[in-house]
Amino acid sequence: MVWLAEQLGVLTKIFYYLIQVVHWTILISVSAYILALVLGLIFGIARISRNRFIRGLAGIYINVLRGVPLLVLIFFFYFGLGKFINLDRFVAGVIAVGVCYGAYMAEIFRSGIEAIDYGQHEAAMSLGMTRWQTLRHIILPQSFRIVVAPGANEFIACLKDSSLVSIIGLRELTRAGREYAAQYFLDFHTWLMVGLIYLIMTLTLTRLVKRLEKKFAIHGYGASRDDH
Amino acid sequence: MIIEIKDVVCRFGTVTALDGISLAVKQGEVVVVLGPSGSGKSTLLRCLNALEEIQSGEINVDGFLIDRNHRQIHQIRLEVGMVFQHFNLFPHLSVLENVNLAQRVVRKRSKVEAARVSSELLEKVGLEDKVGAFPGQLSGGQKQRVAIARALALNPKIMLFDEVTSALDPEMIGEVLEVMKQLAREGMTMLIVTHEIGFAREAADRVVFIDAGKIVEEGSPQEFFSNPRNPRTKEFLAHVL
Repeated sequence: MVWLAEQLGVLTKIFYYLIQVVHWTILISVSAYILALVLGLIFGIARISRNRFIRGLAGIYINVLRGVPLLVLIFFFYFGLGKFINLDRFVAGVIAVGVCYGAYMAEIFRSGIEAIDYGQHEAAMSLGMTRWQTLRHIILPQSFRIVVAPGANEFIACLKDSSLVSIIGLRELTRAGREYAAQYFLDFHTWLMVGLIYLIMTLTLTRLVKRLEKKFAIHGYGASRDDH
Repeated sequence: MIIEIKDVVCRFGTVTALDGISLAVKQGEVVVVLGPSGSGKSTLLRCLNALEEIQSGEINVDGFLIDRNHRQIHQIRLEVGMVFQHFNLFPHLSVLENVNLAQRVVRKRSKVEAARVSSELLEKVGLEDKVGAFPGQLSGGQKQRVAIARALALNPKIMLFDEVTSALDPEMIGEVLEVMKQLAREGMTMLIVTHEIGFAREAADRVVFIDAGKIVEEGSPQEFFSNPRNPRTKEFLAHVL
């Protein structure tokens, strides 16, 4: 009994210690994800451009960044580019995670756009709409419904992968855990709590994504249920 | 002549869809295009809206030239309304928004003005009670009438109908054809690809028969249906009549 209470006491202490830095994990993930959304939208659209050069450029971005481990990207942006410009840890970490997830998001956006029936393009064209107007008013709003679930799942993955930036000394959840474990030799307890906090966040988000999915399925008339 | 088509050739890879077609349409004329499937009749309509690229020849629509460079493409599409077999309504927008959108972003009309035009047109096609509905909640006939209102909203001078009743249940064909007949009576220039022979007889000023990318025969509905000259036309009519 005493032992159990003692263990719980230790875990609680670690929990309160870690919870103080969890906002860094959230901040890194959210910033990186926003960057990924912007890059993903730009390169996703560029991937289906009529201009071969733009299409090729987007292809290179997507394939290169998906083909390199995120950890290597983090080293590259912090230590590699650090030889030329002095990037702050936070900035370097966010850019590394952001450009990596931007490549994944680009593919999600591209497939979302391509999933829309070609008849939608034709109808918009026949009404005199330009390619850009068609994309903005007709295609993207419909793609959004398709993209919402896989896109939100990428955020969950992004949140987990933000732990990798601990390697460049950014004091987020994982880094703080490492420090705590090293200082008090409480590896088992500490990593248990670090894992638990990540799990609480990801499970909450998973439920949120489910709800989001449902919400868009109810009054969604996306390409899956087209009016053919 | 509001439409002048001269020696138009349209190819898809090795397939020649239009093989040197010439056709002139007067203002207010209702032309029904008949032909077996794959004859190029839909392609002809789609070329008039620059939805297909032509390899040679010339298309003049109300003074605008459709050439290979598509320089005046947006002006032409404002002059030409098109209705498709599969409706192609925008499923994420309400009926009213479907009719409003192009007025707002292409014609640059104000919200009030666009809504006024839309309600007028939806009343005309008998759907004034469906303004707030979404396409997914409508029947096929209703969808097609919305699509007609959407095309009319830009005040086109010419309307193209590409097999607009082919995807409809039989009991809904009448309501769509009725709207088209009304348009014809009002003097709209119309090019109609259809399999509705009864409609062609009743509403067409001229019937054009296309086979293998060429105009085989044309004439008034009376002489076309009662006295076809070309053997291909006779064979086709024997199948559909």
